[in-house]
Amino acid sequence: MNLSAMRFQPPAISGGIIIIVGGYGSGKSEVSINLARYLVTSQSETTGPVSIVDLDIVNPYFRSREAAKELEKLGITSVNPSGGQFYADLPIILPEIKGTIERREGTVVLDVGGDDAGSRVLGSLANAFEGAEYELLFVLNANRPFTATAEGCLKMMSEIETASRLKFTGIISNTHLLEETNEETILDGLRLSHRVSDETSLPVRFLSALENILDEIDPKLIDVPVLPLNRLLLKPWE
Amino acid sequence: MARVLMKGNEAIAEAALKAGAEGYFCYPITPQSEVAEYLAKRMDEVGGLFLQGESELAVANMLFGAASTGKRVFTTSSSPGISLMQEAISYMAGAQLPCVIVNIMRGGPGLGGILPAQSDYFQSVKGGGHGDYRLLVLAPSTIQESVDLMMLAFHLADKYRNPVMMIGDGMIGQMMEPVEFPDHYEEPELPEKSWVATGAVGRKPHVIKSLFLDPYMLEKNSWELHEKYDQMKKEEVRYELYKVSAKNKIMIVSYGTTARICQTAIDQLEKEGISVGMFRPITLFPFPEPQIHKEAIKKNINDVLVVEMSTAQMMEDVEKAVLGKKPVNFFGRTGGVVPAPEEVKEQIMMLIEKQKKTKAKKKA
Amino acid sequence: MDQQNQTIFARPDAMTETVTHYCPGCTHGIIHRLVAEALDDLGVRENTLGVAPVGCSVLIYNYFDTDFLEAPHGRAPALATGFKRMRPDMVVFTYQGDGDLASIGMSEIIHAANRGEKFTTIFVNNTIYGMTGGQMAPTTLPGQVTTTCPAGRDVSRTGYPIRMVELLAALATPAYLQRVSVHTPQHIIQAKKAVRKAFEYQLEDRGFSLIELLSTCPTNWGMTPSEASKWLAENLLPYYPLGCYKDFDKAEGDK
Repeated sequence: MNLSAMRFQPPAISGGIIIIVGGYGSGKSEVSINLARYLVTSQSETTGPVSIVDLDIVNPYFRSREAAKELEKLGITSVNPSGGQFYADLPIILPEIKGTIERREGTVVLDVGGDDAGSRVLGSLANAFEGAEYELLFVLNANRPFTATAEGCLKMMSEIETASRLKFTGIISNTHLLEETNEETILDGLRLSHRVSDETSLPVRFLSALENILDEIDPKLIDVPVLPLNRLLLKPWE
Repeated sequence: MARVLMKGNEAIAEAALKAGAEGYFCYPITPQSEVAEYLAKRMDEVGGLFLQGESELAVANMLFGAASTGKRVFTTSSSPGISLMQEAISYMAGAQLPCVIVNIMRGGPGLGGILPAQSDYFQSVKGGGHGDYRLLVLAPSTIQESVDLMMLAFHLADKYRNPVMMIGDGMIGQMMEPVEFPDHYEEPELPEKSWVATGAVGRKPHVIKSLFLDPYMLEKNSWELHEKYDQMKKEEVRYELYKVSAKNKIMIVSYGTTARICQTAIDQLEKEGISVGMFRPITLFPFPEPQIHKEAIKKNINDVLVVEMSTAQMMEDVEKAVLGKKPVNFFGRTGGVVPAPEEVKEQIMMLIEKQKKTKAKKKA
Repeated sequence: MDQQNQTIFARPDAMTETVTHYCPGCTHGIIHRLVAEALDDLGVRENTLGVAPVGCSVLIYNYFDTDFLEAPHGRAPALATGFKRMRPDMVVFTYQGDGDLASIGMSEIIHAANRGEKFTTIFVNNTIYGMTGGQMAPTTLPGQVTTTCPAGRDVSRTGYPIRMVELLAALATPAYLQRVSVHTPQHIIQAKKAVRKAFEYQLEDRGFSLIELLSTCPTNWGMTPSEASKWLAENLLPYYPLGCYKDFDKAEGDK
């Protein structure tokens, strides 16, 4: 257990089907990976077996599948294309994905591609979601061009709902500027998340941020649960 | 404007708009499709033209037609798509048309793969199409530099009436970094575009062409182009030195993403008390030949190490620059395999071992 | 003005005084004139851009008093697309032969037509590659002798000639597609009307227009000009029926 995790209130998510969507580059993959890690380590009593599904059909690089080996060490099943197809930019939707959702056992974190374009894939799995209870969470990064304002976020959220044929259940405040992130970045982002929350009546389910920055923030300034992040998807020189 | 987090491909698109680009033509290909997706939304907002063509062949020729209006226009693609564009690129170079072409390189030859590579170096700097011509080639290594060079590309294209190519490997297109855009692009004044084909009103018709049936006229055109390339060599060479000092025993030459990896290796070695410097070309044509020569022949340098994601393409130009005065070594990964900083360090340690042995031999 | 010396026939303003390089009996000269007359009639010469092909009419820009681009082989419709999209206020036409348009440039013409690009294509079909010395074209008639089908076009090996306007008429977008001929004065008058209408449609922003003009190539056909005209009437007309294949107005009427 790290310092940040102890100082902040942990996300109140205990398992089930958790779908992570949002704009391009909002940080969905890092959030998905870290959420799966959090669930398997802190919520193991309620989660059952945890798997992570890389549903990113739009991005060719920096996908959660790149962290598959690390996750498997923790006992998280990673559903990805195998062999050469692992690297492909083909829209490969493995039959296991549908099976994993339909089984309704354990916990599945679905890491979906960016924007409504990336969320379309959920529409193709609509049958599998029928009657299921799920969390559809919008990853919000206020430093991305199309989600810098509440209007931008609402527009994107409505596009994603249309494309995915699912309804949002909450917001993840994940505002960052990579290595240039500071306290102000995070708090500005949280303010925008609250605005979007007010407009949509959806709760901010948690805030996510890099652990080393969280360590320096006064917990009183953050009025939502917090998921500390450890980056796993690194650039080659990092 | 505040700092925003952007993917390289999006930043390139936005930078083009800041530089006043009014037309963009495209065909989808990984790993650069985000440029098109971004502009499909943004071009409408700024009142510019977005058009998806039926092939890269058509797209490059649409660019040819659009460039003839004198407006700033561009396209982006990745390696196999750039190969298809070579026809129009040669024609535009011959007809002296300004335009900007971005190549977000993936592994080749052939269909290759979708992961980052720098194996289109020859195609970019040696003229990928037919005939005596060169492109001005820019190679950014960060997203901010992609923004800055993309804007510069439009300026240089107009200044020289020549296609300008910006090349970045897939990593430059796909990774995210915080960037800042100017409110508007400040550039030195350019001459009026008196050559455009926008209607023969009160003047003789303008014909934009690369056809010269008379060999003496074609030769004249080719030498005129050559003079332009010589002027670029005098005025447009750009490069960056990283931790270059008299303590260096080794000088790395590397560009783009690979230079970032080398920087990490250099920083780590510095902590271990080993001093290595890097020469990073920013323009690949004109290639900083005399500048590399000057750095390489310095007394303290025992070895030059070229690091790139290809099977030794820029290596040939570095060898030409060093002129045999110092050993030029090579380390490359290709096909989409990105070298790790540790691998670069290993190469440097091997060179240091070699240098020690040579020294010992000399003493004996 | 002296009634006796009134000008009743002159070079169109849109053409220069340059003597063309075309062979005796070649119909490019007539077709150039029809285009120039249309530009004059509509008063758009100063606002026009032509796109030259690769083929016998590669030097067309020497004969027109308008701005011109010289396209790579077959790509004129792509250049015209790029230009017109940036300058919708201008009149743009491509001038292409059958090798340029129906062979190497097939993809560019189909997609430009299907996007409804607002330019006019003058398509000159003489069933042969003239520039390169009389090779088989996609429009060469069955049995027609060329240097690359010396025994006559064998359809079992090379398929049947492509009927371009019919092919393009299968698309929903184009505004105006018509095939005409220039082998008799009467046909030339009809052709002139069609060419003019194509440019009018462009000015009215109705979308893509293409006129296919059946043409002769006495040199590569190995015939005198009058034999060539007769051969056209006897052989091309039955395979390439003249007429309007697509008209924006009629299509609207159908709805």
